[in-house]
Amino acid sequence: MVDPDTAIGGAGDRFPSTQLSLLEAAAGALPNEALERVIALYWKPVYAFLRFKWRLDNEAAKDLTQGFFANALERDFFRRFDPAKAGFRTYLRMAVERFAANEYAAGRRQKRGGGVEFAEMEERSDGESPEDVYFREWRRQLFALAIDDLRAHCEASGRLTEWRVFEAYDLADESRPSYADLARRHEIAETSVTNYLAWARRTMRALLTDRLRGVTSGERELREEMRRVWS
Amino acid sequence: MELSDSVLQHLREVVDLPDLSGTRYELESEIGRGGIGVVYAARDRDLDRRVALKVMDAGWAGEARLIARLEHPGIVPVHESGTLPDGRVFYAMKLVAGKRADRYLEDHPSLGERLRVVQRVGEALAYAHSCGVLHRDLKPQNVMVGAFGEVYVMDWGVDGVAGTPAFRAPEGGFDQRSDVFSLGALLQFVLPADAPRALCAISAKAMHADPAARYPDAGAMLADIWRFQEKLAVEAYPESIGERVRRFAKRNEVMLWLLAAYAAVRFFLFFIGTR
Repeated sequence: MVDPDTAIGGAGDRFPSTQLSLLEAAAGALPNEALERVIALYWKPVYAFLRFKWRLDNEAAKDLTQGFFANALERDFFRRFDPAKAGFRTYLRMAVERFAANEYAAGRRQKRGGGVEFAEMEERSDGESPEDVYFREWRRQLFALAIDDLRAHCEASGRLTEWRVFEAYDLADESRPSYADLARRHEIAETSVTNYLAWARRTMRALLTDRLRGVTSGERELREEMRRVWS
Repeated sequence: MELSDSVLQHLREVVDLPDLSGTRYELESEIGRGGIGVVYAARDRDLDRRVALKVMDAGWAGEARLIARLEHPGIVPVHESGTLPDGRVFYAMKLVAGKRADRYLEDHPSLGERLRVVQRVGEALAYAHSCGVLHRDLKPQNVMVGAFGEVYVMDWGVDGVAGTPAFRAPEGGFDQRSDVFSLGALLQFVLPADAPRALCAISAKAMHADPAARYPDAGAMLADIWRFQEKLAVEAYPESIGERVRRFAKRNEVMLWLLAAYAAVRFFLFFIGTR
């Protein structure tokens, strides 16, 4: 057995999970927190999904997204979620579709969409469906939130060099600096660059898992979503 | 924070990689992803050999202990287990060079070879059952056929595995008979379109919707496959008289030819004697 305490950033360095599952939070004393978690992760994917699926412009899609989170989530939304039927991500997308369809049927599109017509689109010319866009943006937002969490965690725990090394290397949009460059820039050993990156990545993975735990119904759904995230 | 596609792709590649610092292994490449973990090819620096490294979330530590208990030629041996710095668990096992059973069948092996693969799987399953271990997710993708014909059953299941619909028993729960159902589904999968009826009947019996109507265990199903190969009556298939006669004739072909030859000689001698 490998002794985790001898490994770099060993057991004491693990990020402990304190996150309740979505249903635990919604049913317990934290319904607002459950809602906040859902909005933080799902606002952008829902916006992208509506914009793409119904060919809405920026403002109309924003209004409709806002309308969904303001209205649809109020009425027993979490209580009606049955994990045996579908995962939460799918359940929420179907609720969005129903909401948009109702808005359309009720003729409220003029008010919300500023006169923009709804025109449903099933697939783009590159073969990407609205559901693909929804998933892609969901995954992007999940990583974005985990990065925010990592930065906050680094700032709170005084690991600013670790954050800067991670930001300079793993968040570089174009050419990445070499480990030697980073070591010189931050006046640390090259092996420290390796260790800092390893620490930041595994901490980010733990934070991402925690984010996901907060919007899934339990361990089984969490595992399935984790698999989707990395596949 | 806005993430570009390229940064997101990079993060997806590096954040999930197991941190093997503090272990004797060096990561080489990802081999596959299953329901409860990711399998990587890795190099064992101490012994200078390649291994397969399965990495799972902390809750699955029991799987390694479970598999380490099983010692059988059809089950991949576990070398070592451990915990990564992020709390995930891993176990190192023999790296099997070969093909998954579904891809192996694309080479159109003979019926005898197909049955051999199912028999080896069934033997591993019967052994595991005798140790109190169920597979829970038996399917062609979890069977490897090595370069020298060795057959390995991979991904032994633990609580929480849902199974794969086409190979999962309809009753939902897991016990020996649900594994027998999966073995029957595996047999059905490997059989060619023109397979003998008796083999189709064995598969159908193993996959019966009522667990009580299935073979009681993997050994009983293997015994029926053996009876087919020996041209004996198969328990799962009630034969017509014509089929029984044909099977008898095929099984005793040499003896019948000798009897016919003897009768012909006697007839010839009788015919000569009467002249």
